[in-house]
Amino acid sequence: MVEKKKTTTKKTETKKKDTKKVAPVKQEIKKQAPVKTGPSEKPRIGVFICHCGTNIAGSIDIKDLEAYAKTIPNVAHTDNYQYVCSTPGQKKITDAIRDQKLTGTVVAACSPRLHEPTFRTATKEGGLNQFRFEMANIREQNAWVHMHDKEGATDKAKDTIRIAVAKASLLEDLTPKTVPVEKAAMVVGAGIAGMQAALDLAAAGIKTYLIESAPSIGGRMSQLDKTFPTLDCSQCILTPKMVDVGRDSNIELYTYSEVDAVEGYIGNFDVTIRKKARGVLTMAEAEARGIIGGGCNGCGDCDPVCPVVKPNVFEMGMKPRKAIYINHPQVVPLLYTIDFDSCVKCGLCVTACGPERKAIDLEAKDEFIKVKVGTAILATGFELFPIEKKTEWGYKKFENVITGLEFERLICASGPTSGHLVRPSDGETPKRIAFLLCAGSRDNTGVGKPYCSRFCCMYSLKHAHQIYEKIPGAQTYIFYMDIRSFGKAYEEFYYRIQDEGTKFVRGRVANILEDPKSKNLHVYADDTLLDRPMDLEVDLVVLASAVQPSEDTNRTRKLFGVSCSMDGWLLEAHPKLNPCGTTTAGVFLAGVCQGPKDIPDTVASAEGAASAASIPIHKGEVELEPYFATCIEEKCAGCGMCVNLCPYSALALVDKDGRTVMEVTEAKCKGCGTCGGFCPGGAIWMNHFATPQIVAQIDAFLLGGEQ
Amino acid sequence: MVRTKGYPAALDQKLQDTRLHNDDSNPEFTKNVKAISRTTAHMCYQCGTCTGSCPSAPRSTYRIRKFMRRAVLGLENEALTDPDLWLCTTCYSCSDRCPRDIIPTDVIMAMRNLAFKRDIIPVNFLKTVQSIYKTGHGVPNNDVNRAAREKIGLSRDPPTTHMYPEYIPGIQKILDHYNLKANSDRIVKEREG
Repeated sequence: MVEKKKTTTKKTETKKKDTKKVAPVKQEIKKQAPVKTGPSEKPRIGVFICHCGTNIAGSIDIKDLEAYAKTIPNVAHTDNYQYVCSTPGQKKITDAIRDQKLTGTVVAACSPRLHEPTFRTATKEGGLNQFRFEMANIREQNAWVHMHDKEGATDKAKDTIRIAVAKASLLEDLTPKTVPVEKAAMVVGAGIAGMQAALDLAAAGIKTYLIESAPSIGGRMSQLDKTFPTLDCSQCILTPKMVDVGRDSNIELYTYSEVDAVEGYIGNFDVTIRKKARGVLTMAEAEARGIIGGGCNGCGDCDPVCPVVKPNVFEMGMKPRKAIYINHPQVVPLLYTIDFDSCVKCGLCVTACGPERKAIDLEAKDEFIKVKVGTAILATGFELFPIEKKTEWGYKKFENVITGLEFERLICASGPTSGHLVRPSDGETPKRIAFLLCAGSRDNTGVGKPYCSRFCCMYSLKHAHQIYEKIPGAQTYIFYMDIRSFGKAYEEFYYRIQDEGTKFVRGRVANILEDPKSKNLHVYADDTLLDRPMDLEVDLVVLASAVQPSEDTNRTRKLFGVSCSMDGWLLEAHPKLNPCGTTTAGVFLAGVCQGPKDIPDTVASAEGAASAASIPIHKGEVELEPYFATCIEEKCAGCGMCVNLCPYSALALVDKDGRTVMEVTEAKCKGCGTCGGFCPGGAIWMNHFATPQIVAQIDAFLLGGEQ
Repeated sequence: MVRTKGYPAALDQKLQDTRLHNDDSNPEFTKNVKAISRTTAHMCYQCGTCTGSCPSAPRSTYRIRKFMRRAVLGLENEALTDPDLWLCTTCYSCSDRCPRDIIPTDVIMAMRNLAFKRDIIPVNFLKTVQSIYKTGHGVPNNDVNRAAREKIGLSRDPPTTHMYPEYIPGIQKILDHYNLKANSDRIVKEREG
């Protein structure tokens, strides 16, 4: 309906080239088809040049530029100001629109990412449609990069303004489209980030689907023993939250599940959840099958009878588990899982479970569940970089070289050794322990990771402390390049650890060799402060391995249309001012999936993401930029080639008045222009980036202002 | 240098100001080292992996990390006049492990090139040049070697310029092109008479 009306107006426009000037359209009218207006008899464009302090004025001759702007065709008014984005600067725009009867505005200033919304608002307040505004970027793409060439920069700014005026002369009134928002959210990943985000959303009254690929929630934090710098027990502060997540009536928890498919857009995401075959029924599932009072109650009767033994991934493979298992005693939900990759289907567990509970179903299959959500948060977390790739440190080659996460399990009271730190080679208590920081981080060789993993300094300090807590007479060494103790009370913690006796060696370890008899390790490094190479014999080496995005991050992010940076971390909308948002409207990031974070930062990021994700839901509707493609139906031949080209599945062929034509689902269209550029019949009109507008810009550039 | 009144020369030398001053740094040196070595010497963050890997360091005063630091700061005189510059065995262990992906060995080679331009070079290096010019080998074959080769069933001389001396003029042409022989002869003569 909307498209049809618009295409008709488009037709009118092409026929009657000059209609009279259009009165400003009131933006409050929603859902109304945008009124497409042709260029008025004579476009009257106002050009406003911003000094941006000395950011622009320092490398561009503003006077010369304004004098030139006056000579550009269609320019009816020019002005310059120190900061056009300030209140007086904006007032210059609104006043000029009224007084000079402008039909469009051009602001020559910074990047549209920074102030386009500001100047659109000013244009709207002056009485014009906000899409009658065009920005000429003379700061980021000019003044800043040509700061040593004032003349060249000024010439380039003239081109930029001339091009912007050409486009502004042809801009049309457009109306943002509003779509309703489903009052539900999804959180992918139930580590501390995902749990916190889900709890916040649930507390705000939003139905939240929490999806976790592991059999239980808690993520990496549940594997940790103590947390820095306060040294409180990780499980003790985490389990209450885990229990809350399990209990909250607004949270629908899907463990051992993955996101399988995502369709739709902000406000209306249709998500398919794949519940992996678990082979064990919850009490509710059992009741649904008519087994009253049945289902898994976590009694564990199945565990001892199972004949299959596998390494427990939660314990970093240092403890066995059965084919039917729970990861640790405090799991939420308390529900067993069958690992069907190793289960031999002997049926002993079914017998042990008994005819009353009947919780085990060895023929279980994956289930697919469809839910609709308004917004989604990705909290897919991290895993350790496979540090054995840095062969010089001998991980997986020398038994007594372990990672920080293995250390956490070995020092944890609920871990495989009940909290007794031992050497993997002989079970002896180590007395001399070396910690290697930046193991695989800050590495530009292409093998490791170029970034700082951010929390390894602090957890290694904490590890050193835990050694002195448990092993009297031990000596710890921390090999470091820089100690990054940036957080609240972190530097004080560093002071405390040094006071406890840890020797800090400023040098990166070159290599490690093993004494084949004693299995002791020789650590070779340069004590750069002493300027002396060293060969240090120790009993145990702990590598503070770099972190990387968790295995499934890339698949999941693609489903939600989220970009990632070169190193795989998910890309935020703005690194400083929008760290939780993404470039896909309605999808947000929480925790380490966006970049390495310690627990306080992760929780803060999760709360930020939850807050951001709840805004569209509470608002009830969202405004979409009207940059979508529209079909000029009388030109469309119905060939359908655009349909397959569209990366957002926004186009479809429909029958209208006996003809096959293309139809755009506006809410799905991102205005990328792929279809518009391709259409052999020129039948696709890209709002705000229409062919005549772009051609006018190219002409303005190439012809240097001649018509 | 201004003599401090009343101090003997040796003490005066000992007490001189060793602080780093602005004019100790030559930014051109950093650029030249980068251009010749074709590696990013200025990116060193002084972790010490190079010295920790160095087989020369534990048994000498040679500190590859120190030369990297001099490359960063442009300490031309300090780098080129340090006799340790010539203690690198060019085993490339540091280059294998450098986390910044720098090739410290090539930085040393670049510095040696720059030093040679100022006639700073140990005589034994020049004698190697002379030997290559004469025989095509830095370490020519000798009778002990020949006997050993024969014992394990090899020819007395290897299939190099030793077996094919007709290729020696080609090698000489290359060395002459860079004036290497002439310069070596000149410096050796200056030092040894």
